[in-house]
Amino acid sequence: MTVETEIEIMGQHLNERIKKIFGRSLHIREVDAGSCNGCEVEVNALSNPIYDIERFGLHIVASPRHADMLLVTGPVTRNMELALLKTYNATPEPKLVAAMGSCACNGGIFGNTYASGGGVDKFLPVDVYIPGCPPRPQAVIFGLMVALDKFDQKIKRMEVKA
Amino acid sequence: MFDILKKTLKTGTVTVNYPKKPDIAPAGFRGRPEILSDKCTYCGECASVCPPGVIWLEEGMSEKTLTLSYCGCIFCGRCEEVCPEGSIRLTQDYELASKTKDALLTSTSRKL
Repeated sequence: MTVETEIEIMGQHLNERIKKIFGRSLHIREVDAGSCNGCEVEVNALSNPIYDIERFGLHIVASPRHADMLLVTGPVTRNMELALLKTYNATPEPKLVAAMGSCACNGGIFGNTYASGGGVDKFLPVDVYIPGCPPRPQAVIFGLMVALDKFDQKIKRMEVKA
Repeated sequence: MFDILKKTLKTGTVTVNYPKKPDIAPAGFRGRPEILSDKCTYCGECASVCPPGVIWLEEGMSEKTLTLSYCGCIFCGRCEEVCPEGSIRLTQDYELASKTKDALLTSTSRKL
């Protein structure tokens, strides 16, 4: 067995462990890194009675120190760059980063100008990309499920039942 | 208080049963763009109008490739509007989230 495969297996174990740790509940800190507030409106809609993400054990918290996941919206602007890095450093390990919206994925409509960083992945390691301008609340739920592989587990469970 | 209870009972449950039951986007929703490779003539019209510039045409020695990245797409529908052949179409699909950027690319190519 080569060193690479060993490291890969270790990484898989770690991944499973993270999923086990996060599986039941996930606390999300929403970071606005220069967004147009379209995505924020959808994040607000996530906790209303219609979409209600609290039923999955997903909570939106007010401090990065309480959070397991950063939900970053907007292209990282120059003013928000340092704030985003500080927020990331304040989040306890293990942590996930989700890039929500087209701007956070790739710069989107703001492109790669002097004031815009052009995507979160240039500054932080991103675990899941959620495209959409803005993404529907259902698309955000789907993205969070992808992040946790909860979706696959749920599908498997449903198949077993049927 | 009775009025509030009455209203609550009247309203019932509003929460959508989303991940268990698929939720279809309403008609006219602009979702994932789709390239129909058999109609595309590789004129590059869509690439020139795309506001965030996520459609690009690569003209190699032996083949032409049209690539579209959903990562950065703002779902404005300009590509669908300008395409003379109607080979780009916006679907109602919105479940696009992925762990890698490469999974968000779609491309079509033709040998010259």
